[in-house]
Amino acid sequence: MARTQEQVELALLDMLDHLLDRGVVISGEAVISIGDVDLLYLGLNIVLANVDTLSRVLDKRK
Amino acid sequence: MKSIGIGLHLDREDVEPVAKAIAASNLFVSAIDVDDDQPLSDRELLVRVAQTRAKLLERATFIAVRYGFAFRSAAEAESKIVTNAARWRALLEENRTRVELTLKVVASTQQQKPDRNSFSSGADYLRALHAAKNAAVVSDTFKREVEKTIGALCAKQKWIARDAASIEFAALIERASLLKLAPAGESLKRACPDIPFLLSAPWPLEVFADADHE
Repeated sequence: MARTQEQVELALLDMLDHLLDRGVVISGEAVISIGDVDLLYLGLNIVLANVDTLSRVLDKRK
Repeated sequence: MKSIGIGLHLDREDVEPVAKAIAASNLFVSAIDVDDDQPLSDRELLVRVAQTRAKLLERATFIAVRYGFAFRSAAEAESKIVTNAARWRALLEENRTRVELTLKVVASTQQQKPDRNSFSSGADYLRALHAAKNAAVVSDTFKREVEKTIGALCAKQKWIARDAASIEFAALIERASLLKLAPAGESLKRACPDIPFLLSAPWPLEVFADADHE
């Protein structure tokens, strides 16, 4: 049975939701530099998490 | 060149040739290589990683790594997973024949999502968001039907508060039982025709590997 456009979009959204919001978190990190000067340190698992994920992380730390 | 980690696997054959397999702490990390200057937020990269995840799951069950794990050497990958490697290996061995399923349902008592403009502190906003999320519930009748129709097929199951508007049922199901899932979903739809839900499977070990949900 052929999938409708809506079903295809829903499947893609669900797939991306799983990618960004599920699974074990392994710390990633990056330092944004210009020349030899480190400007910003980013914890990638936090930068890429959505706000709801941050909420869960905060709860766990309490 | 950097590598984007996708999953943790028991055997090299579970990974190759779909992705690169990197031996680390008695496990194998699946990964794809990307240019150093390619941003992780690139849409095409996200879709590529998601599709690779799906292809890997066709080969064998693995532990999904949340998107964002980038590394430049096997030693770096090893250093990031060594602490939990024994636990993850045991989890993989226990659930070798299983996959995850998720059922998302709209909460019956939806909480108003807090308005971020009403807060002067980001922490207060996050706390309000968290409280709204945990206040979301689904009816006991629907929960019982889910557990009767879908849960009966599963080895392990749990309910998770996702956000202010939805709740999620996550479960581990034997691959051999996946064909029974669609009829079970149809049965649930007939039993609770007024409650919209999204049932999807198979997924790698995500919720059941995530310490946040233990």
